[in-house]
Amino acid sequence: MTMVQDMTDTAIPNPPRKERSLGQLFQRRPELVSLSILIVICVTVSIINPAFLQPSSLIDMGRASVVTGLFALGVFAILAVGGIDVSFTAIAALSMYSLTLFVINVYPTAPMTLVVVTAILGGAGLGALNGWLVNLLQVPSLIVTIGTQYLFRGFLLAFIGTVWLMELPPQMIAFGKAPLLSFETANGAVVSLPIYFLVFPAAAVVTWMIFNMTLMGRAVFATGGKADVAARLGYDQRTVHIFVFAFTGALAGLAGIIHVCANRMANPFDLVGTEIEVIAAVVLGGARITGGTGTVFGTVTGVLLITVVNNSLVLVGIPSTWQRVVVGAFILLAAAFFVTRQQKQ
Amino acid sequence: MSQSPSPSTHFLELRGIHKRFGGVHALRGVDMMIDPGEAYHLLGENGCGKSTVIKIISGVHMPTEGSIILDGRTYHKLSPIQALEAGIETVYQDLSLLPNLTVEENVALGQQLVSGKGRLLRRLDKKLLSETASEAIRNVGLVPDRALMTSTTADLPLAIRQRVAIARAIASKARLVIMDEPTTSLTRHEVDALIELVAKLRSQNVAVLFVTHKLEESYRIGGQVIVFRDGQCVAQGQIADYSRADLSCLMTGREIEALRYRTAAPQDEVMFKMSGAASGDAFFDVSLSVKKGEILGITGLSDSGRNELALAMAGHRGLSAGTMEIAGQATRLTSPADAIDKGIGYVPEDRLSEGLFIDKTIYENEITLIFDQIVNRFGMIDDSKGRAAAHKISEHMNLNTSDIDLPVSALSGGNQQRVLIGRWLSIEPRILVLHGPTVGVDVGSKDAIYRAVQAMAERGISLVIVSDDLPELLQNCDRILVMNRGRVVDDLDGATTNEERIYRSMLANHLEAAE
Repeated sequence: MTMVQDMTDTAIPNPPRKERSLGQLFQRRPELVSLSILIVICVTVSIINPAFLQPSSLIDMGRASVVTGLFALGVFAILAVGGIDVSFTAIAALSMYSLTLFVINVYPTAPMTLVVVTAILGGAGLGALNGWLVNLLQVPSLIVTIGTQYLFRGFLLAFIGTVWLMELPPQMIAFGKAPLLSFETANGAVVSLPIYFLVFPAAAVVTWMIFNMTLMGRAVFATGGKADVAARLGYDQRTVHIFVFAFTGALAGLAGIIHVCANRMANPFDLVGTEIEVIAAVVLGGARITGGTGTVFGTVTGVLLITVVNNSLVLVGIPSTWQRVVVGAFILLAAAFFVTRQQKQ
Repeated sequence: MSQSPSPSTHFLELRGIHKRFGGVHALRGVDMMIDPGEAYHLLGENGCGKSTVIKIISGVHMPTEGSIILDGRTYHKLSPIQALEAGIETVYQDLSLLPNLTVEENVALGQQLVSGKGRLLRRLDKKLLSETASEAIRNVGLVPDRALMTSTTADLPLAIRQRVAIARAIASKARLVIMDEPTTSLTRHEVDALIELVAKLRSQNVAVLFVTHKLEESYRIGGQVIVFRDGQCVAQGQIADYSRADLSCLMTGREIEALRYRTAAPQDEVMFKMSGAASGDAFFDVSLSVKKGEILGITGLSDSGRNELALAMAGHRGLSAGTMEIAGQATRLTSPADAIDKGIGYVPEDRLSEGLFIDKTIYENEITLIFDQIVNRFGMIDDSKGRAAAHKISEHMNLNTSDIDLPVSALSGGNQQRVLIGRWLSIEPRILVLHGPTVGVDVGSKDAIYRAVQAMAERGISLVIVSDDLPELLQNCDRILVMNRGRVVDDLDGATTNEERIYRSMLANHLEAAE
């Protein structure tokens, strides 16, 4: 070990280097475990049933990943700050339904960009309310967001409406349909990957940039690591909380409007109830539920894993009712894996 | 912010600072001054307001009354960012590192945060981050290689974590570095290195303020002493002008002599015995015995295996070789619960995270080991029996409150430790292993703990004290075992040996290796 010459008096040796085994790598990058599982599933399924690799099923999965993916990026942010959010689906439902209703009844010619921006801002506003409450009340965000989930959803059903909106304005239908890529399948049908699919990778890149290239990103992880220490070191906790929850709300608002356009209808009873699956995806992506960890790459991996499991098991003859069993088993396996690794240390 | 009424020539001056927390009047008019390049030792018993004053200086708490004069400008309160901007850096006792961030980020993020006045929506300059961090890490005597800089701090040993915390303090233009009990869990060698580092800081005109219980180190470092008692600063002056007796008198308001507490002698019966014991690569070939009513001290550097030995004695760690006997019966401990069943109690070093239910009351903490004794015939806890037991313990341990419904978190460190040790009195263990029983505890509480320890020994409990604090071992133990690199290298008589002798055994081989 080298020592700086004039420092010999006060120098103490660096800690020994950690061995670089595969186990150590998985310990440091837990998302690689999920990535390995994902690859194994994809290879196995495509060997058993090559239909898995056809454009139509890939596109199905691509489409299915968008809404979960946007939600998951938001949950990643919340777990990074050391919180848990269960209200994002209610934010998505409230903003998508009220916005669609508004466009249909009041402003049918609203340009699509304006609709999307409004959804994002609306979601951000509701999210900011979460963040403000978490900071004001100093209670765990799980409690706050259970409260706001009921509040947002109750407000939607009591004051906005309970009727399914089946006739969307044309610009929203067009947005849901606009193709990025089109393929003709063997039986002559045309399947296309919609342009809105790009929103998920784009949001992932933006999230990555915020969390890795700005001070805010580091402040979020600092708060998730130890909130009282972060406050002592000068990271303004109110700003951090409001930012993170607003960010998650914005992604939820965006996910909501895409959900409407993709399904060509707005159902006020939709979305709420899928929180656990989204949280599961993020946890499978290596984020700890106790906060302060996680990566965007891991989150994307977790989302893909959940999407593939939900869409491919049918292709190999496993009934769809077994999806939950499989996802549950993965989560427990991953947890057991990390616990045993930690005990060995 | 306004112009100071009478200009202050000091770097930092506190004038008439009061702080109230609800009904508690924690600071009652504190005046103190800090000048560049000087060392200060803030002394006082637990609960005298030392931590509060530090938090006011570093902007964590807002004073209720009074003013803070920093570089000639008067403030009624500081924000953490303002304090950091002025170059006031604090190394808290818990080090305040962010466990999930890398060394690089822990050291250097603050500089960018402060230079942007706390604004967060800014680009993170990674090049600056790594340059600042490398330089600071080099300045505290570590090698800023990639492996270290990209480790998360949760993965580092304590001595390195402390260096990282100090590196953070000096990464920006620090002018005052506050260290809250920095040497509490360091070995002697590490303490020496820290003292060198402090000298270096002072030579760069940085003021250093220590909060400490260790007078010996304060005398070695020199500089000024600031003594607190009951929320007031009762003395500030050159430490050389005060004797130890003066200082403990100032701190406690009464006189405490440094006496040998141990007066009784152990009984003949051997209560606990280990032969040829080993555990992994932590310790080897350890043979020892403890008699009934004997107090055995075990010391050594932090990596000498003494901590693991303590854990093994209490069933927290398995033996890979060797045998164990309790009262002449060969036995194996399979778990801490098994050890308790066999009459071995353990008071951990880290009372906050390992020993106490910190939000629960004294009462609830005291009865955790005796549920089976205080249940009534319906299997419910009999409150009056439990309360009687808890009251008895409080009296035995001389707690300074009779209100057993107070949450433990409201007590000072010394009283918390007494609650923790007292809990074992409820089951009268045959053997009690005390791990660092007075870490971070003030003079007055130490006295009470030592008296309680001696009383237990007189009642026939065998005690094992694992500690760094050599005066503590010399004052309390019948025998002192010294561990070095996993082996017991010395077995000394507590009444006749001395600190020098113990240090030599502790450091043998280490000194040659360091040359």
